[in-house]
Amino acid sequence: MKRISVLFLIVGLALAGCKQNTEQTLKVFNWGVYVDEDLIEEFEAEYGVTVIYDTFDSNESMYTKLMSGEVYDILYPSDYMVERLIQEKALQPLDKAVLTNLGSLMPSVLNQSFDPDNTYSAPYFWGNVGLLYDVEKVDEADLAKGWEILRDPQYKGQIYFYDSERDAFMIALKALGYSANTKDSAQLEKAYEWLKELNQTMDAVYVTDDVIDNMIAGNKAIAVVYSGDAAYILQENPSMRYFAPEEGTNIWVDSMVIPENAQNPKLANAWINFMLSADAAERNTVEVGYTTVRQDVYDAMLEGDYADNNAYAVRTDNVRDEVFVYDEDMKKIISDLWFKVKAE
Amino acid sequence: MVGSKRNLAWTIILITLVLMFFYLPIMSMIVFSFNSSRSLTSWSGFSLEWYKALFENREMMSAITTTISIALLSTLVSTVVGTFTAIGISKSKRLIKEIILNVNNFPILNPEIVTAIGLMLLYTTFKIEKGYMTMLIAHIIFSTPYVILTVLPKLRRLDPDLAEAALDLGCTPLQALLKVIVPLIMPGVISGALIAFTMSFDDFVISYFVSGNGVKNISILVYTMSKRINPTINALSTILVVIITIILLSVNLYDILKKKDLKEKE
Repeated sequence: MKRISVLFLIVGLALAGCKQNTEQTLKVFNWGVYVDEDLIEEFEAEYGVTVIYDTFDSNESMYTKLMSGEVYDILYPSDYMVERLIQEKALQPLDKAVLTNLGSLMPSVLNQSFDPDNTYSAPYFWGNVGLLYDVEKVDEADLAKGWEILRDPQYKGQIYFYDSERDAFMIALKALGYSANTKDSAQLEKAYEWLKELNQTMDAVYVTDDVIDNMIAGNKAIAVVYSGDAAYILQENPSMRYFAPEEGTNIWVDSMVIPENAQNPKLANAWINFMLSADAAERNTVEVGYTTVRQDVYDAMLEGDYADNNAYAVRTDNVRDEVFVYDEDMKKIISDLWFKVKAE
Repeated sequence: MVGSKRNLAWTIILITLVLMFFYLPIMSMIVFSFNSSRSLTSWSGFSLEWYKALFENREMMSAITTTISIALLSTLVSTVVGTFTAIGISKSKRLIKEIILNVNNFPILNPEIVTAIGLMLLYTTFKIEKGYMTMLIAHIIFSTPYVILTVLPKLRRLDPDLAEAALDLGCTPLQALLKVIVPLIMPGVISGALIAFTMSFDDFVISYFVSGNGVKNISILVYTMSKRINPTINALSTILVVIITIILLSVNLYDILKKKDLKEKE
């Protein structure tokens, strides 16, 4: 008898683990550590709903999970992934009547090429890609060389290069004066040569997010970083500076979108508007350290927390700065070329 | 004499090196859990703030509960199922035994990612909503073969007459099973359960593909934090290391005390 009751206990415990919710739920899929967590609870309290919060580590793994049949109400893809999802008709239009906070956003993050009227996406965080350098090891006069400084022999062995094919080719194409979205195979070939030479002569170390800790420790003189990460590094290590070369760079926008098959689009629109309120936007940018998309919060940050931090403000007056365009063929070509660069 | 002294010195040096190789990563992780800044590699002072942050982080606390409850439940189910299957196998004909054992080895030899994708597709095909139950079932599936494999050798060494003797002496078949066979193979069952528990506790690949709806274990959480890993992870790992050390110490002490006790009785 005792054993049977133990069995019942196990089954009971197992069933308790997957408790059925009768109240409304909102399923959110966001980047890891990309929100002030208290806001989730506040949203739940305000709307009397349950938020199921999942996280991913890259646009591609988010896409895979989506394609495996997982259903979400809110996703946070980056620009080119928004474009891909729009092309594949996987998104539904936002309800502009609910999104009253869209009007308070910075003009430079709205109406981007990947979603011209923000029909499907609302910006969340944004930034660019640039160079982080140690003022004690780098002669600031050399910065005039722009991206070419990455191939300057006097900094041999002093460079962290971001291990991402798209960013690597963006840098090479910009250094050569081309568009980062070029489909011209001759230009891509030249970019490949540029990267190959860098790889062969500079002893660059290829890193991803470990660059953050390494640059805080000041292990090398120059690193390719995202502006949001740079803003954080600058707070931790005062001898670091950030700059985006004049030849242009990539501007990225992480956005909030509602999938076509969302179960609760009404609540999803409310979530987007909630996250874009002045209070939520401020707390998110303070918590995460990435640049906010709200004009008032942006101005306040530049006068407050990030007054001496030149990585927080994103450059908007350079016509050569571009947002990535999604193109399946180009993606394949640069992926193969990047593999060749690193293999040689 | 001189030669053996030199050998001893070499032994000590080698053992120290090997131990350092094993334990330095864990030591550095423990040290940085007390760091006062957010960095994982540059030390800036002692603080307990990451331990505080750990217990205040609702996402992390729920990941911990999920990990532990899934590990306990899947261990329980897979140990019971695995043990009885092993007993069944040991009593079958040779051919059947061979076939079942090979089938059992398949998931063990199969790369984890294949099992993971297979389960994910299965759940998707049958429109089973991914969450706690799907993860639990997956964990039971991948730990059971290990339990079977650890229990079987114990059964092979078991005297087949014992069960019959129990039946002769008036035991019902169930009693014979639970009071004679199971206690005799208990060491195998326990090591099977321990393997099942650790397999479930640190599984990432399979869990990642079969979970959803906000259900995640510690491994999945850490993986998705990639960009902003902070010392809360170190704090969590430190607590786990301490717990494991305590468990190992008490198990070993218990064994030693028990042996001492037996000797004194003799």
